[in-house]
Amino acid sequence: MAGSKLSNLTKRRQRAESSGEPFVDALRAALSHNRVKWDGASRSLHSHDASVFDGGNSGPVVYPETTAEVQAVVRLANQHGRNVVPRGAGTGLAGGAIPLGVPVVVAVTKMNAILEVDEVNRVAWVEPGVINLDLTKQLKPLGYHFAPDPSSQQVCTIGGNVANNSGGPHCLAYGVTNAHVVAMEVVLPSGDTAMLGGLEAEPQGFDLRGAFVGSEGTLGIVTKVAVRLTKNRPAVRTLLMAFDDVRDAANTVSDVIAAGIVPAAMEVMDKQITAAVENYVGAGYPVDAAAVLLAEVDGLDSGVDIDADRIAKIGRSNKATDVRLAESEAQRQLLWKGRKTAFGAVAQIAPDYYLHDTVVPRSALADVLEQIYEIADRYDLLIMNVFHAGDGNLHPLIVFDGRQEGVLERVHAAGGEIITASLDAGGVLSGEHGIGVEKQKFMSRMFTNDDLDHQNRLRQAFDPHCRTNPGKVIPSGHSCADIQSLRSVPNTVWG
Amino acid sequence: MDLNIDEDDLNACVQCGLCLPHCPTFRVTGDETMSPRGRIKLMREVQDNDAPLTSEVLDAFSTCVQCRGCEPACPSGVPYGHMMESARETLADAGQMTPTWQRLAMKPLANPTLLNAGTRALSVAQKLKVVPERLGLSNEIPLTQSKLEATGSDVYLFTGCVMDTMQRSVHAAGLAVLTAAGFGVMPTGNAAPCCGALQSHAGLASETRTLAEKMMEGLEPNIPIIVDSAGCGAAMKDYGHLLGTAEAELFSERVFDMAEFLAMHMDRLPEPAAPLDLRVAVQDPCHLRHVQRVHEATRTMLAPYVRELVELDDEGLCCGAGGAYSIFEPELAGQIRDRKVASINRATPDVVASANPGCSMHLGAVGVPTKHPIELVHHAITGARGL
Repeated sequence: MAGSKLSNLTKRRQRAESSGEPFVDALRAALSHNRVKWDGASRSLHSHDASVFDGGNSGPVVYPETTAEVQAVVRLANQHGRNVVPRGAGTGLAGGAIPLGVPVVVAVTKMNAILEVDEVNRVAWVEPGVINLDLTKQLKPLGYHFAPDPSSQQVCTIGGNVANNSGGPHCLAYGVTNAHVVAMEVVLPSGDTAMLGGLEAEPQGFDLRGAFVGSEGTLGIVTKVAVRLTKNRPAVRTLLMAFDDVRDAANTVSDVIAAGIVPAAMEVMDKQITAAVENYVGAGYPVDAAAVLLAEVDGLDSGVDIDADRIAKIGRSNKATDVRLAESEAQRQLLWKGRKTAFGAVAQIAPDYYLHDTVVPRSALADVLEQIYEIADRYDLLIMNVFHAGDGNLHPLIVFDGRQEGVLERVHAAGGEIITASLDAGGVLSGEHGIGVEKQKFMSRMFTNDDLDHQNRLRQAFDPHCRTNPGKVIPSGHSCADIQSLRSVPNTVWG
Repeated sequence: MDLNIDEDDLNACVQCGLCLPHCPTFRVTGDETMSPRGRIKLMREVQDNDAPLTSEVLDAFSTCVQCRGCEPACPSGVPYGHMMESARETLADAGQMTPTWQRLAMKPLANPTLLNAGTRALSVAQKLKVVPERLGLSNEIPLTQSKLEATGSDVYLFTGCVMDTMQRSVHAAGLAVLTAAGFGVMPTGNAAPCCGALQSHAGLASETRTLAEKMMEGLEPNIPIIVDSAGCGAAMKDYGHLLGTAEAELFSERVFDMAEFLAMHMDRLPEPAAPLDLRVAVQDPCHLRHVQRVHEATRTMLAPYVRELVELDDEGLCCGAGGAYSIFEPELAGQIRDRKVASINRATPDVVASANPGCSMHLGAVGVPTKHPIELVHHAITGARGL
């Protein structure tokens, strides 16, 4: 009977023996047959992430389960002269996980154990494939959570958060991923491991942990992370304010911060995105307002009521047409569910979107928003705005149908102008999505040649042969790997 | 190859990936080809870019449990279930999916005489201990069954195929509770032998349509149809989409899950003799929670009749039963069940309430004590001893 218990799937997998590719066979010998995928369908799917960019070319896709297996993969890649691209859940929006140069794609989804919760040191040791929200749920009975909460929180991995130094609505008060990663074990591009950072309050030497967080997979692969545990606050109040003008919402945000209040989160959505979101969640978002502001304060019971009251007053003085308090935890959850699924909800309007991610000084929010709407008009595009208003992190969302002739050119041109407008207002290229393949060409707008050369030297100190996630972040003129040559590898992939 | 999937449906997916953690096969494999986003992308590649139907692509499609847990998770409302049904129908018609043995295995479902004979044979075989393990049967299959007697004609009780032969006691409990609530009940019996859910999952579309039409002919109009199997209820509520006729729409509108119906009539239900002294974990069958989306009613109905209701912490992730899935893909179904069992163990219940025969048999096969919610209500009302 034992044989009949194996599914067709297993039988088919086991039937295929040699792949005809020495590199693939070596990987299979090091891991196992069914944790090294070489078929066209797998490679095709792993050539993309959640971004709008053309896919790359995935080589073999591997699913290591241990640090030693990651090391083995990296060493074999070195021996065979192949590149390595790490991948979490594939929800990145800047193309950071797109494989360039037919690399081996290292999917860390099977390394998903929460290894230890250390309440004394207030950290949890986790593997990189742990899903962000799963970690927070596991910590809940202990009264803690992992503070960075990107919109993709229900699916994105801690490894991906480390690579992109991810943010999220509640990072306004709590700080982004860099503030919540204490130490980590990484597999360097040589295949050796290193421990960066440490549990002691002041680790010795250079802060290489700080350099690694946000390096988008170009310095190595993280295999264990000590994340900080954040205590859940006893009380929380969530305010929903409606405005007739996006400018009023933006000004409210600036005024709240200027008044010395630090809310846990302050998020703005404009009319069109609110309609799409409300259609999905039915949370009671006002669909006729030009903009809604979601503001949350947390802390002690008495304090949150005072802060909520002050924020409501500031909203009203900025012509808020409606100010409401979430009545229950269930309603609060529903409001946040709406905010966090906003990007996915736009397919109700059009099948494609390009989500931007620039940061501008809070005081410039209203002006830059106005410019964005003007750019949309000029390029005849639908641009919606949903953003982490509290820290000036804009997410202009260009919604389009890629099947229309010439639309992609307009989308990219408009995107370029949005970035320019943001930089001109004293902003930066990326709040949290990273540079990836998306914003390389804008890097020289932001940094001088000297800056870029030094960034590249740091990268080469870790990865002298440019084998780890090549063709990302640092623009080609300053990088050891040339994007064009990576892109020009003939497509022999399935489909 | 044209998979006959609606282009607008395909384009409704923006590949954001929010569905991934809600997919049981992605959860246990971590593999993009076993995720809704991956499967939709493969549908696109095959349908729009004429990519070849390799064994890996077919695996990606055939390993989908069709739990539809991805649908409520999708902010763009991608109708994944219908897309997968279209793909499977096209591939089954082309001889690429659903091999002959699977087709043959489903034949008796539509034929009560054959099914009864088969079930008795299985019961005897089980007693002789010659039933293959992959069938996952641990609960004893009854050799003989007492007849369900009609108590009136206010509502139909849909009795169906496999459930009627394996779990008629659940129907009996439902019949008794509905009657106690003042409804005269007609068991559908041979007038409506099978809903076609399993055939539909396997891509056997013409068989499914024939069964749906047969059921609509066999049942009197305007009488509510109460269903105590979540999978059957979901299929019957979809007849409007399946057949595309106004008549089928009207039929679907009078289909109710047992708890859905009783939750609307709580005032008519008798007080419990004594609430059962049990901590009950509610396991939401996928086709109740993700497809019919009426799972809250189970709680409303159960609450007065048991000491304590407890929620599982996996947000309704599938248990791996998936109709005949646990037989066709035992390896994945087992891994998915392991997750569910771990979640059940964390909830430390005395018993698990599951409103779908497939789930309760699949969980029962590894020793999880399961009861249909209506059985618990029945026990509480009658004060019967011994669950």
